[in-house]
Amino acid sequence: MNALAGAQTPSDRRVVFENVSKFYGEVLGVNRVSLSIPPGITGLVGPNGSGKTTLMNLMVGLLQPSRGSISVLGIPTDRPEELFRHVGYATQYDGYPPGFTGYQFIASYLRVHGMPAGEVETLTWKAIERVGLTEAAGRKVAGYSKGMRQRIKLAQAIAAQPSVLVLDEPLNGLDPMARAEVIALFRELAAGGLHVIVSSHILHEVDLISDQVVLLNGGYVVAEGAISGVRDEMEEEHPAQVLIRCSRPSLLASRVFEQDSVVEARIHDDGKSVLVRTRDADRFFLLLNQVVLDNDLGVEAVMPTDDNVHAVYQYLIVGNGEKP
Amino acid sequence: MAVYERSYGRYTGPLTAERTRFLILPRYAYEVVLKSKLFVGFLALCYAPTLFGLLIIYLYHNLSALQLIGLTPEKLNEVFPISNEFFFVGLWIQGLLGFFLVLFVGPALISPDLRNNGLPLYLSRPFSRSEYVLGKMSVLLILLSAITWVPGMLLYFLQGYLEGAGWLAKNWRIGFGFFVGSWVWIVYLSLFALAVSAWMKWKPVARITLALLFLVLMGFGATIKNVLDTPWGMLVSSWHVIDAVWMSLFGLAPGTDLPPAGLSWVALAGGCLVFLWLLSRRIRAYEVVR
Repeated sequence: MNALAGAQTPSDRRVVFENVSKFYGEVLGVNRVSLSIPPGITGLVGPNGSGKTTLMNLMVGLLQPSRGSISVLGIPTDRPEELFRHVGYATQYDGYPPGFTGYQFIASYLRVHGMPAGEVETLTWKAIERVGLTEAAGRKVAGYSKGMRQRIKLAQAIAAQPSVLVLDEPLNGLDPMARAEVIALFRELAAGGLHVIVSSHILHEVDLISDQVVLLNGGYVVAEGAISGVRDEMEEEHPAQVLIRCSRPSLLASRVFEQDSVVEARIHDDGKSVLVRTRDADRFFLLLNQVVLDNDLGVEAVMPTDDNVHAVYQYLIVGNGEKP
Repeated sequence: MAVYERSYGRYTGPLTAERTRFLILPRYAYEVVLKSKLFVGFLALCYAPTLFGLLIIYLYHNLSALQLIGLTPEKLNEVFPISNEFFFVGLWIQGLLGFFLVLFVGPALISPDLRNNGLPLYLSRPFSRSEYVLGKMSVLLILLSAITWVPGMLLYFLQGYLEGAGWLAKNWRIGFGFFVGSWVWIVYLSLFALAVSAWMKWKPVARITLALLFLVLMGFGATIKNVLDTPWGMLVSSWHVIDAVWMSLFGLAPGTDLPPAGLSWVALAGGCLVFLWLLSRRIRAYEVVR
């Protein structure tokens, strides 16, 4: 699977991993990773210890690969002075200098970044406003709630106006309202052409926000690309599941089961739906249209039940073949 | 398919000079240390010996003031001769005060960043590990300079100005010894404190470790010296080593309990290399799991 690499974006606008391995002594961080990440929102998904944070640290040049090479927008990660002009990073840890207010926190790191005093003030307020912390900017970060800390961390990552934003678990601890605001901000940034690379354990959120995903397990990339594309490639081994709620489920089940690509069609427990498993979802949907028209069926809903990150994660990482 | 408008523009405005960017770090460190009244009081105390030196030099060149307190120039010269030794003792006192200042400030420099996982915040910017260490070190370099060679050189030049007739040139070794001796001690102490701060996550523990290392190594050196009857044992004692270096810089005869000056220079250089190695092991964005 190399869906990301296939898209039409020049390599100087991509984050490229070429056969990258990272070992900590004898411990495997990531192994033989080849990726080509285009602009947009990319979700890194995997269980604890799968290599997400290692991948992010490699991406931002905090770690150098044991083997292979990495470039961010055409800049090798072993040139930190140039690289960090383009990259904004927020770790999953809360690393705040004691005693700093939200404003001081952002402003001080902008100064370290090399921004002159006049620019620092403008950029700091801009970042603080974007994450909705204007009111709290004068308060000490130590007194912030978990959600506010996440937002101030995000503000420090975007404050220097990078081209690539790398965020480790950015949605942890946010309440639903703040989460929606942050996701909207990600979308706005990505729509402008920024790379937003986020890691998360929360699969439905990754599904919701990501243009493409990278699934990791045990230091290996097990899948990458747009979720639908990844799912399509798995159809042979894991047929797609579609739930159809209709007026005559038995008739629909018997009609669709006549097709070669359909491997299972059974009446759902509620007695009003048919659960179909097919190895060719595109063909099945064409067939479904035909069956509905030919038999004058009343269809209430057609719901793919496993074309999301959660299902892909279950198939590839957790259950290795189990149904989600 | 997502459509990217490329409306987002990265920052392309002016930047500050890379060479001086590390000086951002001391600015915030001073804000923290100067909030402590105890520290401000101690810093003021550090200038007492300089004021005393200033008073002696003033009295030397002001007969009426000297007579006012019932002293003669000969008597004053007997008690406080303005010589190599006068400035050496000044450096010795300021150096000792510098150690206590480092005990106060040094442990707080790196350990909080390590404890709070703050290093990635610095190192994921156009800011290298060396610049981070230099930035943290400059807190001590500036503070220690302010209490060692800066007042020392002021006294040296004041004495030269008041004495006139080539005193500065004739006593160049005093100025040279004070300046170089101060810097050697400043660099050594700063690296020592930073290395301890980088390995001890808690400030009080770092402070105690720094003090203990200083005292224990001094005691260890004295034991070797006594048992083996050789001053070489004192090479492990930072204070005795710098004492020997200072005496050589001021052209004074070394005491019998001090190690040879040449070896003392080597010991100081070796110590600095060890501290740098310790720092390089710890100043990383992430710990290496083995």
